[in-house]
Amino acid sequence: MIYAIETVNLTKEFIPSKNLINLHSLFFQKRNSILAVDNVNLQIGSGELFGLVGPNGAGKTTLIKMLSCLILPTRGTAKVAGYSILEDEEKVESSIGLITSNERGFYWRLTGRQNLHFFATIYGLSPMQAKKKIKELSIILEIEDQLDKRFQEYSTGIKQRLSIVRGLLGDPPILFMDEPTMSLDPISSRSIKMIIKKKLVREQGKTVIFITQLLSEADELSDRLAIMDRGRIKVCGSLDVLKNSLGIPEVTIEDVFNYYTID
Amino acid sequence: MIRFVKSIQSFTIKAGAFIKRDFLIEASYSLAFILEFFGVLATILTFYFIAKFIGKGANLYLQDYGTEYFPFVLIGIAFKDYFTSALENYSKIIRIEQMTGTLEAMFVTPTKISTIILSMGLWNIIRTSVFILVYLLIGIFFLGIDLTNMNFWATSIILILTVVSFSSVSIISASFVMVFKRGDPISFATGKLFVFLGGVFFPITILPQGLQTISHFLPITYALRAMRYALLQGYSVKMLTSDIIVLLIFSLVLLPLSIFIFNYAVKKAKNDGTLTYY
Repeated sequence: MIYAIETVNLTKEFIPSKNLINLHSLFFQKRNSILAVDNVNLQIGSGELFGLVGPNGAGKTTLIKMLSCLILPTRGTAKVAGYSILEDEEKVESSIGLITSNERGFYWRLTGRQNLHFFATIYGLSPMQAKKKIKELSIILEIEDQLDKRFQEYSTGIKQRLSIVRGLLGDPPILFMDEPTMSLDPISSRSIKMIIKKKLVREQGKTVIFITQLLSEADELSDRLAIMDRGRIKVCGSLDVLKNSLGIPEVTIEDVFNYYTID
Repeated sequence: MIRFVKSIQSFTIKAGAFIKRDFLIEASYSLAFILEFFGVLATILTFYFIAKFIGKGANLYLQDYGTEYFPFVLIGIAFKDYFTSALENYSKIIRIEQMTGTLEAMFVTPTKISTIILSMGLWNIIRTSVFILVYLLIGIFFLGIDLTNMNFWATSIILILTVVSFSSVSIISASFVMVFKRGDPISFATGKLFVFLGGVFFPITILPQGLQTISHFLPITYALRAMRYALLQGYSVKMLTSDIIVLLIFSLVLLPLSIFIFNYAVKKAKNDGTLTYY
């Protein structure tokens, strides 16, 4: 079976850079590596809505960045849309969209439309295709009437929607979303979640892997989810599987999360 | 062959998108552009009066160029901007893209790294070319510079080779920024050294022999000399063959080398997980 995502012992160790000011640390101190992602083995099927939860520093973003070819793994490998992240970088990049909650990543002096047009071109779309795609996606994300304002004038919600539109420009089958509802008000958050679940996954059949700190969001959205802590996948499965794994009746997702993340 | 044509076509379209993007950003800061124009005017007038002050005293050293000090130095300062802009171009842009987070957004697209890096600096090259034109037009129409002998083809070829070789040094410099985030020793050292030893403000023949030897290893020396000959004396491509060959060698060696080094720097940053750190 070809998975949308398949990782095999995927590991990332970071070696902190040396302090050039402190001569003692420069020459004598051993640098301890930081194990950000530790032997992760995951299989995510096509059209799945997969949640990744875990405390800060668990390695979730590093994992997604490795799958997006922005960070090289130290060991192990992964296939995204059937392509190796180590050998078929360009094909992987053609198959994914990365959506972050970061407000950076756009040109603040340009309008939303100008930003999207630029990125559409470097996704390989012709001017006509770009125009059509931007229109189509802005209707889905309900920002069509907002596109001609400068990026710096947008609310956080609109910026987030623009980020989603950008991630969809190349029509990728797989989307990575790093906290897509962070800093959004409840109405915008609900709307974005509806778009992800209903339009992107159920209607368009895209595979979405999203990171969230909100357990209620993971509960509400995911077909399956994984709890990650200190670089390791502690448990992975549907919510029912996760709840049953504790062997206690009537547990909540918070109970599951605490069980797997608190020593 | 079809693949090659397609990749050229793709590069051209994407490079066009970068130029349009930077033009739109530049246009949103219209006052800065106007102020820069006045800066150019002030520089030209400063050297115009310095040339007047020196009088014919410098002519002895400028016999090769068949001109006086002002036309000589006007070409020097106009192209100095070109050299320094080309040198700092890519490292500055990479730093800005890292800080604004747009570098990550670009690197996650299926566009080749070489296309991204080469396209990033194009607007600045066009922009500086416009300012050079302004320098020369002010010189011609208001300050009596005579460029009627100018050889168009020789000037164009030298200009293209100069941009390629200097941009390559700048891409190497951007590789330092990619890995170390700051500390851009290449453009700092080369920028100062090029201006001093390259014959921007004075002919290199007045330098001591040792320094003259060093200046022969710098592409600016050949670029400026050839440019002055082509603009002031109307030297043809054939007459400037030796300088053009030297610039061509610099370009052919430095451009692939710079792309290789930049790709290596990106790989290192991806390995360290610092691609988007700033």
